[in-house]
Amino acid sequence: MDPEEDMHDARGESSQEEEDFYSEGYPSDGEDEDDDGDDAGYDFVDNDSDDPSTDVRRLQQNYTTLNEENISQRQADDINRVSTVLSIKRWEACVLLRHYNWSVSKVHDEWFADEENVRKTVGLLEKHIEMPNKRELTCGICFENYPRDTMKASPCGHPFCFSCWRGYISTSINDGPGCLMLRCPDPTCRAAVGLDMVDSMASREDREKYARYLRRSYVEDNRKTKWCPAPGCEYAVEFVMGSGSYDVCCKCSYSFCWNCTEEAHRPVDCGTVARWILKNSAESENMNWILANSKPCPKCKRPIEKNQGCMHITCTPPCKFEFCWLCLGPWTEHGERTGGFYACNRYESAKQEGAYDESERRREMAKNSLERYTHYYERWAANQSSRQKALTDLQALQNEKLEKLSDRQSQPESQLKFITDAWLQIVECRRVLKWTYAYGFYLHENEHAKRQFFEYLQGEAESGLERLHQCAEKELQVYLEAETPLKDFNDFRTKLAGLTSVTRNYFENLVRALESGLNDVGPSNSQAGSNQAACSKSSSSKSLAPGKSKSGKSRTGGAATSSRSGSSRGMDDSIWTCDSCTCTNPKSNSHCQACDRHR
Amino acid sequence: MANSNLPRRIIKETQRLLSEPAPGISASPSEENMRYFNVMILGPTQSPYEGGVFKLELFLPEEYPMAPPKVRFLTKIYHPNIDKLGRICLDILKDKWSPALQIRTVLLSIQALLSAPNPDDPLSDNVAKHWKANETEAVETAKEWTRLYATGA
Repeated sequence: MDPEEDMHDARGESSQEEEDFYSEGYPSDGEDEDDDGDDAGYDFVDNDSDDPSTDVRRLQQNYTTLNEENISQRQADDINRVSTVLSIKRWEACVLLRHYNWSVSKVHDEWFADEENVRKTVGLLEKHIEMPNKRELTCGICFENYPRDTMKASPCGHPFCFSCWRGYISTSINDGPGCLMLRCPDPTCRAAVGLDMVDSMASREDREKYARYLRRSYVEDNRKTKWCPAPGCEYAVEFVMGSGSYDVCCKCSYSFCWNCTEEAHRPVDCGTVARWILKNSAESENMNWILANSKPCPKCKRPIEKNQGCMHITCTPPCKFEFCWLCLGPWTEHGERTGGFYACNRYESAKQEGAYDESERRREMAKNSLERYTHYYERWAANQSSRQKALTDLQALQNEKLEKLSDRQSQPESQLKFITDAWLQIVECRRVLKWTYAYGFYLHENEHAKRQFFEYLQGEAESGLERLHQCAEKELQVYLEAETPLKDFNDFRTKLAGLTSVTRNYFENLVRALESGLNDVGPSNSQAGSNQAACSKSSSSKSLAPGKSKSGKSRTGGAATSSRSGSSRGMDDSIWTCDSCTCTNPKSNSHCQACDRHR
Repeated sequence: MANSNLPRRIIKETQRLLSEPAPGISASPSEENMRYFNVMILGPTQSPYEGGVFKLELFLPEEYPMAPPKVRFLTKIYHPNIDKLGRICLDILKDKWSPALQIRTVLLSIQALLSAPNPDDPLSDNVAKHWKANETEAVETAKEWTRLYATGA
């Protein structure tokens, strides 16, 4: 809609891509050791056709998955850093960091702006106060006297005996994460009680609990990290703010949106997802159904569904009120006067006067909206379960089928990664497709051109995905069952890898187009123009992704009719790229193996 | 029996409460259960509760002093931080409890609460509303209740 914004989007995208391109050879620290396996896998496809690893790398650049050890390590590093810079003890640095939500820079800012005030707020005394200098001291909790050297105190010097300290610390730890803000038991004293006191006095079990709370606080209070929301997953994800998409994929393989922690939902935004989930779970749809299909009993107000029979309704006990379904008046007043028992003139005449219009109209609208919702919900849910099924299939594939295939076709398993890739792509596509239904549900009724364009894109996406799914499922079967000529298998490889990359491209473009709110489609577009718009959209958005596919490079946006034959680039004469779907084909084929179009 | 294992701290506190009582406050342990105290607080002067004698019960739970004592008014009282069951809204009886606090400090705090009601942190919504809407009238009601329920009659 807004050309300015569009331009901006385009710039944003391309600079992002550029970054990826330059950083290709330099995986960022901490990532490479864990992700070697994945990268190596993608390398295969890399050499084969185009560069699908780009998106993987793009995603991994803006977040890092952390395990328990990583978290503790980072926490310790931060504590050490603050402790060194401010020349304070480690436990004091820990108290400070926790207070400022583990932001090292915030700690530094506040401390150097007003150290005295910071010390006061968090309870760190500048001067260590010694316990009273007597041989025996009274514990402030149990009131017993003990030799001075068996007593302990925070830097504030209020003495308590070992067992009372232990009890005090233990009570606080078992009360929950508030133990991280523990203060001296003396009610007039605000001195902090930190990790050193806990470590020197608490039981082993309590010390472990305390350490767990510390780790949790580091993840939960930190603006940069969140726990992976998958059940049972113990990883946290660190996110670099302001860096593109919020979708992250935890090492446990669960994909979620870092912003709202719902499952990954591109191209739909977080607000829409929240609304959709609320709609699915809430009573709102039940209410709509009740509204559409029932009327309240005029006496007891319980909703009644009329599923058969005459207009004479008797409410269920204890109410037992008898009334007319049409006018909701008491049945006793019905008879000859109202036009007979089977027709209610009161209703007819009142209807003519318009008395019932409002509620009738509302009922009708609710019924329509319910049907509309059901349409989208069913498809949303169907893709959800398809995705689940694909995940199960993928697992079965990885657990047994790949090994079998490797035997049958005498191929090392590492050379079969393209099959796993295809399945991963299917899983991802199902996810996107699922959310396009929520997108469609919220797309405004009145925007005909957009709606039509959207449905066209969605339909294409669906059939593209079906092609890929078909190939990965059915055609693979042949090679699983018997030994086949190597050439056949290689053709299959080319086809499946090609389909995977085509589908990936298509879905990436779809996501981008939907995220930009289908801005290419102006409200003025006529119905006839929407097809044209579809073509120009897909080609222009593809041109935003250099290095994604060979055909993409030759595309310069603009009309769909522009020449863009991949083979004309003269890069590799043994293959050609299909004009219509961008799939790469061996030279010997005269028809595209993905979409069957003539060369 | 509950009394056989009484911690030294409770014994010491009890002795001190009996030997040096705080002004306007009396607390004596029940004979059957040394953790249960019968408490009387005199209405502070210049408060709507002046002239009243308020009965309370105080119980020291097993975890005491790591957990706060449980205290409740037995005498009916019109106060924004005390509900009709006599439960008291006071921070040191909840999250601000510290094991270095004692029965004596708790009772002194309750006495102070009678002098300075806090309708912004209410336990009894109606009373608090009344207090904020028309303090003079609420104070009158409190005086009336003191006369009705907290004087020797």
